Amino acid sequence: MSAPARNPELVVAGFPRSRPRWTQIATSGDHKDLGRVLIAAALGFLFVALVELLLMRLQLIVPENTFLDPVTFNRMLSLYGATAVFLFAVPLALGFFYYVAPLQIGARRTALPQLGQIGTWLFVAGAAVLYAGFLFTPSEAGVNPLPPLSGIAFLANNGVDAWAASSGLATLGFVLISIDLTATVRRRRAPGMAWRRMPVFAWAAAIGARLLLVIGPVLLAAIAMLLIDRNYDGIFFAGDSGGSPLLWQHLSWIFYTGSYMLVLVFALGAIAEIVPAMARKPLFNRNAVIGSLIAIAAIGTLAWMQNMLTAPIGLGWMYFAMVMSLALIVPFGLVFFNLIATLAGGSVQMRAPLLFAAGALASIALGLVTEVNHSMVAAGWYLQHTVDSTAATHFALGGAAVFGGFAALHWWFPKMTGRTLGETLARISFWTMLIGALLAFVPLMLAGSEESQVIDAYKFFDATGVNGYNLVATIGSFVLAAGILMTLANALLSRTGGAPAGHDTWGADSLEWFALSPPEPHNFDVLPDVRSPRPMRDIRDAIAHRSGRDEERPARESQPVA
Amino acid sequence: MAALAPHSPGIDQTDTLLWIGFVAATVLFLAVVGGLLYVLRRFRADRGTEPRQLSGGTGIQVRVGGALGAFAAILLVLSIVYTEKARETPATGSAGLQAAEQAPLKIKTTGQQWLWRYDYPNEAFSYYKLVVPVDTAVELDLVSTDVVHTWDVPELSGKRDAVPGKTNHVVFKADEEGTYFGQAATLSGEAYAAMRTEVEVVSPGEYEAFVEATKDDIQTAQDRVVSLIESGDTP
Repeated sequence: MSAPARNPELVVAGFPRSRPRWTQIATSGDHKDLGRVLIAAALGFLFVALVELLLMRLQLIVPENTFLDPVTFNRMLSLYGATAVFLFAVPLALGFFYYVAPLQIGARRTALPQLGQIGTWLFVAGAAVLYAGFLFTPSEAGVNPLPPLSGIAFLANNGVDAWAASSGLATLGFVLISIDLTATVRRRRAPGMAWRRMPVFAWAAAIGARLLLVIGPVLLAAIAMLLIDRNYDGIFFAGDSGGSPLLWQHLSWIFYTGSYMLVLVFALGAIAEIVPAMARKPLFNRNAVIGSLIAIAAIGTLAWMQNMLTAPIGLGWMYFAMVMSLALIVPFGLVFFNLIATLAGGSVQMRAPLLFAAGALASIALGLVTEVNHSMVAAGWYLQHTVDSTAATHFALGGAAVFGGFAALHWWFPKMTGRTLGETLARISFWTMLIGALLAFVPLMLAGSEESQVIDAYKFFDATGVNGYNLVATIGSFVLAAGILMTLANALLSRTGGAPAGHDTWGADSLEWFALSPPEPHNFDVLPDVRSPRPMRDIRDAIAHRSGRDEERPARESQPVA
Repeated sequence: MAALAPHSPGIDQTDTLLWIGFVAATVLFLAVVGGLLYVLRRFRADRGTEPRQLSGGTGIQVRVGGALGAFAAILLVLSIVYTEKARETPATGSAGLQAAEQAPLKIKTTGQQWLWRYDYPNEAFSYYKLVVPVDTAVELDLVSTDVVHTWDVPELSGKRDAVPGKTNHVVFKADEEGTYFGQAATLSGEAYAAMRTEVEVVSPGEYEAFVEATKDDIQTAQDRVVSLIESGDTP
């Protein structure tokens, strides 16, 4: 028996030993780990979606091609649609929201991390179910599996069930993550981080999360009905037994239109962070941009019947959809105007994130002005269901998710990994992607609007005037894919091999740049007292003031303690 | 941008609206991309200008928003005007079928995997090919017996869905004799891309001869089947 020690001992029992990285990620409730899972999975599925797109484009390279048989083509189409929406665009947007927004509002953790954790892994489970479906039979019902085609009478194998289970699991996951995001932005803001001082991207996250809370359950209800119809003799969508096939169209289009808006809000929110920092100017009018993003989410989702102009619905409903679609010109126009006005008079550094942001804005603009034509009722009767719709969706939604997502990736990659993406490869990738996207989809606009080439078809016929358009589109999609692969490779290589980024990489004004790169698990050791919408600028000024280097710059009134 | 040579009053109006939309889209797109390219070139950092730390007030937002709103409102009014014209049921012209009991001439059109069936008023029917008289208002009552199909012959009309359990309508008046091709435009399963149709526009006399002959042919075929069944001579 030795005498008790005079000094307190260090207790190490029960202290977690360092675990392998994968166990840590698989069991983490940290929004940064989960956000990285979502983003990495989304980028992986971008690659898968590209392969499916290229296979379909190869089939459509010449008229009446027999490279893919019709059933295989329809399976590729169905997988591509589900992958692009549920496994790429929405989780990419949510992943960035979930990683960045808590840092931007100065939260040390999210409010309900368990929900975020369950949500993320439900999404992963959904993805696994969709591609486990590959082992037996994928769905053949198309991007949006409309009943009765998606009913048990016409597609009796379990492909549609796999689709429904997969998108249902993923959507449930998105809803749970959105609950956590909503609660976090409401309850976990740093001292002084009032709503009116919140960064635009955090606003985009709050708007996107609330939007998913509305549209997610709508799709879940529709999927439940589809599964009941298919497996338990339900009649929700049976037109001859009191149900209606149009019910599915309404419910599913509410979700698809809403998630379209969600991805646009994500891209525009990210671009509204990048543009002011790269122009070294504040956003021209924050409130107008934030208000416009809210309007885009609300009005855009209300325009869901724009997708149903050819369906037997009343003309009044068509006009309602058209009013909503045309009203979107105002908020989208205001966002574009404010971003351009922010660049005007600035000192613009054309770094990779701004390059991708500018590409995203051009692509989104091209897609949206085409959608304007599709929303004008009589013009929509003519233009819808043609490959012009395919092109418009790919320019607007695809442009927001790919160009906008890559802008966000280049912007926040240094925060996530501590390293920047290679600038040269980024530039080559960007220009390849831009040329590829124009070659791939502008010919489809012409083939659709001039020659009425129909959407989703596994072949087109000779002498219908679209041979040249489709050949160019196929070549263009390979160029586009090459450009996208360069950025994916750049991300893989730069994760360990990129130039060290520093903690305040871009000189931006929001709080995520106050954390370390990559941030500590608890995000911040100390939190500043937020006094303005530009807290990092205040912190830089305060540091400059203290170290006496502020002769050139006048002292500012607010000097928060860093 | 334009429809392939419109051959019906409705699609002619649609064609005008398409041009309006194309001009509006071009204006909006050039404004965004032109403005973006201009500021990106004009305010490059290597020109060494110090960024002006100015923000916009509410006034300019209201003015820009108001201008955009006015633009959208004009588009809305034009769209409604031309949509109303496009959906108007045209009157049968002097060269058209005057004997039609109903105005317009109603033809029941059934979408089924992967063929269109046309039922004429005198109980004759045809698959794939629709024969209609020239200069005559024609209304197709669209139904489906299986999945959703979209009827589309772009030179004559906009698209309409045939949905089980609901009837949809297509109205057109072909202004010239000839053959017009169309293709179904909603994914309907395996042979979707092969689901085409053909509208043959003929003179009223030829139309009446066609439906009578078709009716007789069908009657002959049915009689033959019935006699075979009665005689127990079925293969």
